Amino acid sequence: MNTPPHTATAPQTTATAESVFSVRDLWKVFGPKAERVPADQELRGLDPAELRERTGCTAAVRDVSFDVRKGEVFVVMGLSGSGKSTLVRCLTRLIEPTSGTVSIDGEDVLSMDTGRLRELRRHRAAMVFQHFGLLPHRTVLDNVAYGLEIQGVGRGERRERAAEFVTQVGLDGMEDRRPSQLSGGQQQRVGLARALAVDPEVLLFDEPFSALDPLIRRDMQEEVVRLHQDEGRTMVFITHDLSEALKLGDRIALMRDGRIVQLGTPEEIVGAPADDYVRDFVRDVPREQVLTVRSAMRPALGDEREAGPALAPSATVHEAIEAVARTGENARVVEGGRCLGVVDHAGLLGVVAGVPAAADKAVA
Amino acid sequence: MTATVTPATTGSAAATDTGSGVLRALTRHRGRLIVACAAVALVLGAVFLGAGNWPASLSVDLSGPLKSTSDWIIDNRDGHPLFLYFLGHVSNAVVVSVRAVYLVLLALGWAGVTAAATLVAWRVAGVRLALTSLAAFAVCGVLGMWVPTMQTLALMVVAVAASVLLGGLLGLAAGLSDRMHRVLRPVLDTMQVLPAFAYLLPVVLVFGIGVPAAVLATVIYAAPPMARLTALGLRDADAGVMEAATSLGATGRQRLLTARLPLARKELLLGVNQSIMMALGMAVIASVIGAGGLGDRVYQALASVDVGAALAAGVPIVLLAIVLDRVTAAAGERIGAAPAHRSRLGWAIAAAATAAVALGTRLADALTWPDGWTLDIAEPVNRAVDWMTAHLYSGVPVVGGTADWAGHFTTWVLNPLRSGLQWLPWWAVLLTIGVLALLIGTWRTAVTAVLAMAAIGVLGVWDPALDTLSQVLAAVAVTLLVGVALGVASARSNRLGRALRPVLDVFQTMPQFVYLIPVVALFGVGRAPAVAAAVVYALPAVVRITAQGVRAVNPAAMESSRSLGATGRQQLLQVQLPLARPALLLAVNQGVVLVLAVVVIGGLVGGGALGYDAVFGLAQGDLATGLVAGAAIVCLGLMLDRVTQPTQRRDLAGKGA
Ligand SMILES: Nc1ncnc2c1ncn2[C@@H]1O[C@H](COP(=O)(O)OP(=O)(O)OP(=O)(O)O)[C@@H](O)[C@H]1O
Ligand SMILES: [Mg+2]
Repeated sequence: MNTPPHTATAPQTTATAESVFSVRDLWKVFGPKAERVPADQELRGLDPAELRERTGCTAAVRDVSFDVRKGEVFVVMGLSGSGKSTLVRCLTRLIEPTSGTVSIDGEDVLSMDTGRLRELRRHRAAMVFQHFGLLPHRTVLDNVAYGLEIQGVGRGERRERAAEFVTQVGLDGMEDRRPSQLSGGQQQRVGLARALAVDPEVLLFDEPFSALDPLIRRDMQEEVVRLHQDEGRTMVFITHDLSEALKLGDRIALMRDGRIVQLGTPEEIVGAPADDYVRDFVRDVPREQVLTVRSAMRPALGDEREAGPALAPSATVHEAIEAVARTGENARVVEGGRCLGVVDHAGLLGVVAGVPAAADKAVA
Repeated sequence: MTATVTPATTGSAAATDTGSGVLRALTRHRGRLIVACAAVALVLGAVFLGAGNWPASLSVDLSGPLKSTSDWIIDNRDGHPLFLYFLGHVSNAVVVSVRAVYLVLLALGWAGVTAAATLVAWRVAGVRLALTSLAAFAVCGVLGMWVPTMQTLALMVVAVAASVLLGGLLGLAAGLSDRMHRVLRPVLDTMQVLPAFAYLLPVVLVFGIGVPAAVLATVIYAAPPMARLTALGLRDADAGVMEAATSLGATGRQRLLTARLPLARKELLLGVNQSIMMALGMAVIASVIGAGGLGDRVYQALASVDVGAALAAGVPIVLLAIVLDRVTAAAGERIGAAPAHRSRLGWAIAAAATAAVALGTRLADALTWPDGWTLDIAEPVNRAVDWMTAHLYSGVPVVGGTADWAGHFTTWVLNPLRSGLQWLPWWAVLLTIGVLALLIGTWRTAVTAVLAMAAIGVLGVWDPALDTLSQVLAAVAVTLLVGVALGVASARSNRLGRALRPVLDVFQTMPQFVYLIPVVALFGVGRAPAVAAAVVYALPAVVRITAQGVRAVNPAAMESSRSLGATGRQQLLQVQLPLARPALLLAVNQGVVLVLAVVVIGGLVGGGALGYDAVFGLAQGDLATGLVAGAAIVCLGLMLDRVTQPTQRRDLAGKGA
């Protein structure tokens, strides 16, 4: 894992250096006397409709636990209303959680006082919003500098720093425009630059690209991929778009009705859906582009170790099919000069067809 | 610093379930139910209460206590600590600041003031409005009204500054605190429906006649729109932007100063605009209590039915109104459009040019408007009016004359209406008001309306109040007839709509007082001219609201009715008007409020009734009579507004559905 060139200004506590955010048993219930819902065994178990009927409350996040590791892109995915926005806002207490714990670098967020919390929001986590949240009366430059202004950075310095980020997101020459004079994609670039300008430890994205048209969305996704590769910044990314999740996510949490139904790498989600809901969700995914050759591999027999094209274990099935078709031979999976196994026609077809038996056999 | 989330709305779901059947049945037959109850009450009333006016036993004579209060205040104005240490200072501060502004205006000279106005208009609103202001100020000078214009302007500057400050602070409180909002909203709502005249008497009671009273009445009258719009702007701030500010770690103060207030700047400027317009209207009316300036010229001229002089002072008022309105409105629309550095340069140029012009005129010793440049329009206007009196008042073949019309209107409409109302037993009047309010609004509005009307009886001014009411009803009927017809027509014909717009714009900016001038010229004095002024004043708002309502009718509904083969007429009657019902009700409400404001001022031109009592009280120093009339006007205003206020029940109904 590469260390980010921008280091966070906040002190790093040692205990859980691995994970940036650590969330345990988190609940957020909207409605009257919300606290009683997580506390009551019976109410906890009710499904959303019953809960609303009985108490008038909506449980937007129910009993969620996960860790966001340093340097990863953690994607939270789910359909509309599944509680994604609520969840990500609980991380910095833009929405006050009902119960559970949230910690950042080992420090308990829920027990922070106002000043400490403000510090967290100013320096450690910055958010990019679906509807941009730009100040309409300010120019692009002043919008990007807004976070710094709030931190109390002097006018000259903050404008100078903001100008860098305007350049970085490709808005050169538009510094003096107002948000209303920009396209949606450009506005979201301003939102992104504003978040980057405060040099946060974690970037939080709440469906940042779902208001954009597909082409611009792809541009912006590539921007995020590039950012992540260049700086290795930790990101929490909310989306309801599966292909976006698979494209960006190191790990994906799939939410339904406030719960996380599966948490894993894109490959795990597509290759081994935890239940029918997830299976249904990923059904139309081109599996060969997500799954790696590991899932199609079988142990090598005899001289197979020596012949055929070599592939890295992280290569996708799609690449393996190409290699096999080109050479007409089984492909070897090689890591550090050692052959881990081979992939043949049957294994590859099994993955593409989504026949679990073949895949199981291959993995086993 | 916690969640940015509003608590969930609940209860509505639960409420719909149980007992909704009964409720729905009740709602559906509400109208019939109310009418049935009213019929029963009518019979009972006839049997037990009999006919007749408000019974003397139920009224309280307040003139004694009021007189002694007012005497006490007059006696103690120079000695009592309350006056010495508080009200006295307020009054002095007002006098000093008005004086100071006036001196500044004088020091700038006519050329300096005109240059300043033109350049400010140029900076905030562009070249066209700059030329308009130039022309407006020049006309004020040419009409020989430079000095009174400056007097009015000085009073306005102080009053507007104070009311923007006061309104802004109240709005800030209501915008940031839900509790304050709940407390202030009904107060501000009510203040906005009361006729300007009603504000004069209490301030005169405390401050006596003079500039302080005039300024304070203006401040109180002009502050509510600023407060309302400030609160509205702050409350409506884009939640997404506010959340973004919070997410960056903004403190409460930073959120307010860097996000919430700037987000509300359109509403704030609109508030300033409305405050200015209200202040101008009031500053002119306040001539009755010693505001001086242009209003006073109109007032004096009207008192001696000198239409020419009234017009010479009225034209500057209208011009001032148009310039102030257009410039501040344009400022609101253009805000933030130009880059900051260019606008700073422009302002510097404007300031330098103003200073140069002011200095130039001072050196040339030409601070006052040159005598040779004035044009006396009073003479020719009066000759024209005389000619009109001679030729158009009566005896014009076929159509009759204007005075004949006024006479006929009085004989055939106003008189029967008034005697009809006064003939009605008092309890029947209350019952009618209650039933109407119930049919249109909620039981709450009905109770307020009935209580307000009863208070008029208790005050012992039942008869004059019914007289005023009859004028209001007649004026409202005419206004609605003409206004709805014009509104519908202009909504259905784009050409007419476009032609009407500038006319309506000008009419809506003119202060109420000004409307009295032409009606006196046309119809002489009496109740009919008061009604005519009221109609003209209320018409633009009614036309506007109706047109907007009809235009806003869902195009899908129109489309489907057209596809069913409805004719234009059927469309209008069966689709557009029913769907525009909320707008029509709003038009009625606005019409009633506006009409009352002018009918009351009509007391100045022979309208009689409550308005006359108030004017008489002010003019003769008989504050007891004036205050009782003022209180009755307030009650009448409340009653009329509540009877025609449809909004609240619609909200409730919407929630249940
Ligand atoms: N302020 C609130 N009060 C009451 N209920 C709320 C509130 N905010 C969210 N909810 C409810 O919580 C649930 C989750 O909402 P949330 O906005 O987190 O969903 P989401 O996954 O972000 O959906 P979307 O993709 O549409 O943004 C929804 O059922 C919503 O109705
Ligand atoms: Mg969301």
